Amino acid sequence: MLQNLRTRWLGLLTAALLLTAPASADTGEQMYAAQCARCHGKVGEGTKKYPKPLAGERSVPQLAEQIQKTMPENDPGSLSKDDSAKIAAYTYDAFYSTAAREKNKPVRIELARLTVPQYKNALADILGSFRGGNNNTTWDAKRGLKGEYFKNRNHGQRQIDRLDPEVKFDFGTKAPTEKDFDAKEFSARWTGSILVPETGEYTFIVKSDQSVRLWVNDNKKALADGYVRSGSDNEYKGTLFLLGGRAYPIRVDFSKALQGVKDKDPKPIPAFVQLLWQQPNGTEEVIPARNLSPQFSPEVYVDQTKFPPDDRSYGWERGTTVSKAWDQATTDAAFDAAGYVSTFLNEIAKVNDRDDKRAEKLKVFLRQFAKLAFRKPITDDLEKMYITRAIESTPDVQAAAKRSVLMILKSPRFLYREVGGTPDQYDVAARMAFALWDSIPDQELLTLAANNKLKTLDDVRKQTDKMMADTRAKARIRGFLHHWLKVDHARDAQKDPKRFPGFDAAVVADLRTSLDLLLDDVVGSEKSDFRQFFLGNETYLNGRLAKFYGADLPADAPFQKVAFEKGRRAGVLTHPFMMATFAYTGETSPIHRGVFVARGILGVGLKPPAEAFTPLAADLHPTLTTRERVELQTKGVNCQSCHAVINPLGFVLENFDAIGRFRELDHNKAVDATGGYQTRAGEQKAFKGPAELAKFLADSPDAQTAFAEQMFHHLVQQSIRAYGAKRGAELRESFAKTGCNVRQLAVEIVATAAVKGRD
Amino acid sequence: MSQTRRDFIRTLGLSAAAVPFVLNLPSLGFANQGKRKQRLVVMFTPNGVVPWNFWPKETGSDFTLPTSVKPLEPFKKQTLFLHGIADKIRGDGDGHMRGIGCLLTGIELFPGNIQGGSDTPAGWAKGLSIDQEIKNFLQKDEATKTRFGSLELGVQVPDRADTWTRMVYTGANKPVAPVSDPYQMFKRLYGRTADNKVLASVLDDLNADLKKVAGAVSSEDRKLLDEHTTFVREMEQELKAAKSHGEIGHKVPDLEPGVKGDNDNIPKISKMQIELMVNSFASDFSRVATLQYTNSVGGARMKWLGINEGHHELSHEPNKNDAAQEKLTKIDTWFCEQMAYLAKRLSETPEPGGQGSLLDNTTIVWTNELGQGNSHTHNDTPFLLVGGGLDFKMGRSLKYKQVPHNRLLVSMAHGFGHRVKSFGNPNYCGDGPLNDLT
Repeated sequence: MLQNLRTRWLGLLTAALLLTAPASADTGEQMYAAQCARCHGKVGEGTKKYPKPLAGERSVPQLAEQIQKTMPENDPGSLSKDDSAKIAAYTYDAFYSTAAREKNKPVRIELARLTVPQYKNALADILGSFRGGNNNTTWDAKRGLKGEYFKNRNHGQRQIDRLDPEVKFDFGTKAPTEKDFDAKEFSARWTGSILVPETGEYTFIVKSDQSVRLWVNDNKKALADGYVRSGSDNEYKGTLFLLGGRAYPIRVDFSKALQGVKDKDPKPIPAFVQLLWQQPNGTEEVIPARNLSPQFSPEVYVDQTKFPPDDRSYGWERGTTVSKAWDQATTDAAFDAAGYVSTFLNEIAKVNDRDDKRAEKLKVFLRQFAKLAFRKPITDDLEKMYITRAIESTPDVQAAAKRSVLMILKSPRFLYREVGGTPDQYDVAARMAFALWDSIPDQELLTLAANNKLKTLDDVRKQTDKMMADTRAKARIRGFLHHWLKVDHARDAQKDPKRFPGFDAAVVADLRTSLDLLLDDVVGSEKSDFRQFFLGNETYLNGRLAKFYGADLPADAPFQKVAFEKGRRAGVLTHPFMMATFAYTGETSPIHRGVFVARGILGVGLKPPAEAFTPLAADLHPTLTTRERVELQTKGVNCQSCHAVINPLGFVLENFDAIGRFRELDHNKAVDATGGYQTRAGEQKAFKGPAELAKFLADSPDAQTAFAEQMFHHLVQQSIRAYGAKRGAELRESFAKTGCNVRQLAVEIVATAAVKGRD
Repeated sequence: MSQTRRDFIRTLGLSAAAVPFVLNLPSLGFANQGKRKQRLVVMFTPNGVVPWNFWPKETGSDFTLPTSVKPLEPFKKQTLFLHGIADKIRGDGDGHMRGIGCLLTGIELFPGNIQGGSDTPAGWAKGLSIDQEIKNFLQKDEATKTRFGSLELGVQVPDRADTWTRMVYTGANKPVAPVSDPYQMFKRLYGRTADNKVLASVLDDLNADLKKVAGAVSSEDRKLLDEHTTFVREMEQELKAAKSHGEIGHKVPDLEPGVKGDNDNIPKISKMQIELMVNSFASDFSRVATLQYTNSVGGARMKWLGINEGHHELSHEPNKNDAAQEKLTKIDTWFCEQMAYLAKRLSETPEPGGQGSLLDNTTIVWTNELGQGNSHTHNDTPFLLVGGGLDFKMGRSLKYKQVPHNRLLVSMAHGFGHRVKSFGNPNYCGDGPLNDLT
């Protein structure tokens, strides 16, 4: 009772306060200048009387409360709540918060260590260079695996040598072909390479009712071993962590026969075999031809150490922080690599036990190892420290190699970018490689640097353009596009199974694949035209997606381009995967979609909401459409400063439900898909439906600038402002000149950043 | 992904540098003190034995060691012959496959696609092996839990996974590959300790170079490198701490470098594996171990004994081929020498924190896939025990009338206080553990 009374009194007091202090029409900045700057300084730097700068860790609401209670000094409490909030918001963004202070610092190119992907790629490429070059980063034009079929059970007497798009065979009781085979006993082998699109854990599965074995990236030890069939097992699997943008050797051995002692009286029995995988964000599927090639690829050294994640606080990964866990991980990884070198020393260093020049050859090998790791030839002093001392420390060459490799990989010259030496063309080569391949420069780049061939911007452009053909460059660009579209972290696309029956993990995985195919298609096309991301009116569908989204394809159709809901769909913007990820489990989310378009595509700076809100529940407002509910919830003045931008962009996409299906009705009312946007140049645009929005985005200078700047940050991993205040504008200009060519933009970004070093 | 040693250390929240130190700490390494430590070693050799040179004629505690088992003379009082035990498991698979596959599992093989020289084809065993059963029992209890639980060692086990090469199973269809490469085993046991020595030896140079590099960058950038330097310094201190503690702990065994895993190096590798096993016991890394010489149907050519034929082909020779039987006896004797060497190394090593020697607390069970090679019989399957790990009454020669070996497997579990009613196929366990062992 007493409690109730007190609350009521407090309520009355607050009301009285609000009456005496009506909200001002001024902005936070104006009020700060008028009332606060006198004591606190123009940008919160403090004055003689109050020297303490306005800087701290409070949140905006906390700050607002403090201002309201304590300011101004001569009349605390006289500011209205709203005004305090406005001043707090202004000071927070202008100079108070850590982020603001960081932003206000003069921007420079910072010293960085290798990011985790760079570290792992570097190890793969250093060790790979001793195993037949960088073959695992090229990808030829043939799709599928080399399929060989043999007359006897032990892969002898080959009868057929052909290209099989995928390994999915049900031979029944028959032979692979009519002639030259005994259907009761034969064997087959599939060999070639598998292209891994992105870094992560891949599970490989081989299914068969016969003897079967699978090797992936290790030609000696089988990843899945079904040589022995036992009981009713007919599925064998193994999981590998693999680096994206590389091809790995793969082989399947299949034998239809009893193993061990030869069967004297084989019976006619059925036989099948299938090769499947599960990608990091995917579901089990037969490995599609597009990820297979009959080409040879050497084994890749893939470091398995768990590193702490890289800093992403600026929105892109960068190596500007170190931690003890990171240091420990680099030690673990260095030991693993050193152990690997020492174990396979003869093979890698091309020496043998009886060679009397073994020590000498070892030195040559280590010198090359250090050169690749340090991204430049090593000086005599460094050679003494990193190589000679190790060799002289022990007669055991394997131990010497281990020690030297350990030291090289723990060296700051390997771990950090551009340290220990005057800037030269080797640094240019390294910048190019890290930006485009997320890895170290190869021998070709180092040779160019040595021969003074990376001197001019044109030299660098030309070489960068060549580097674009590498599978690592393609993976890097695709990685950026995922980042741009905010699909780089496995987004939850689970939906309400009652409302969207059949929208399962397999459909989600297919949608992801569909989006990736579309992205690759645009980037890889001749014009590589950015605008096609928005204007393209074809979608990749397979049988399963077609059935689910109501397109006309056979149930088992592989992925193909389909003109699907022409006029209603527009490129990636309305891709069902995008629409489904920017939505709740049952309802759409115009706010998520709007924020994505505003911040992600158009580069509009938006503040997070002052406090967390739960969206109004649809079932509590059964007569309202989603659009109406959002309008209801965000109509407050405070909300509108951002939602006036967000909502009209999100509303335009209301024709797509929470799984990205086209709809005319929302809660039994016609969908209102009108909206608008005010450009940075001040022009007010109005859109009706997604096609108009997409058309606007395609040609929008704001969208192109945002795309170019984001790509810069993703590839170069430094703030673009460190490369000049106008760098963003310049990039957008050259981007527009090339007809918005995405590949050329990447080349331009990498080349122009590569010629500028840390001051 | 399975738990690696590194993960294990991480779970403890300790840096790798502190590992040797930690594992010797009374509070962690020997947290499982108190009761006497009991251990089990199963040693496997293939192709049966020459029975008349293997089994003592006498029953009871007064017996003479026949030719093949003479090397056990110094341990005769700690030796127990169990003659007349039969592996009665039938079903799919030829005699060799069942010989190795049902030996420690006591259960049939699944139907499958591996065809032997006779009988029906088969796959893997339908259940786990007794060593893994005992390991699981010990690992369940904090007082008997060890870092590895069990070690599966091999000598010249071919790099081929099939029914003939696998004896240990963690479950139905889950065979375990023994590690035949002593260096690989060494790495698993001591990897980081040896690595840390190398790391410590390069830290001075690394620090010097780090300083040089830091001197060449701007003061703003130097902050990052300075931070890095403190990590290196901390690592140096941890290594020093580890070293000073390492001195009072058990030492890491020295392995001869560069021994290749080929036929002629079998004697060397056998000794290296035994050395690693004894050291792991001394450090209480594990209380269960298996040591598998070659495989079922194994064809080692013991040229160091002057024998050029493969073991398996010799084992098919009839009893009346004296020359062959003499060679086979030599082979059996050589295997027995390995057992004797293991017993010797265990007997020379004092039980850390306990009474007597490691051998007083370890039972070695030498067994075989077959009773005799030329008949492929599973009757009189060799079971020869040495050591005091299981509280069996030793120094005896016992004769049975072909009792199912499942009962002995049950007895082994009971020896550890794990009172299972049956093991493997319960149809062969009706009468419970063998009643005259303790």
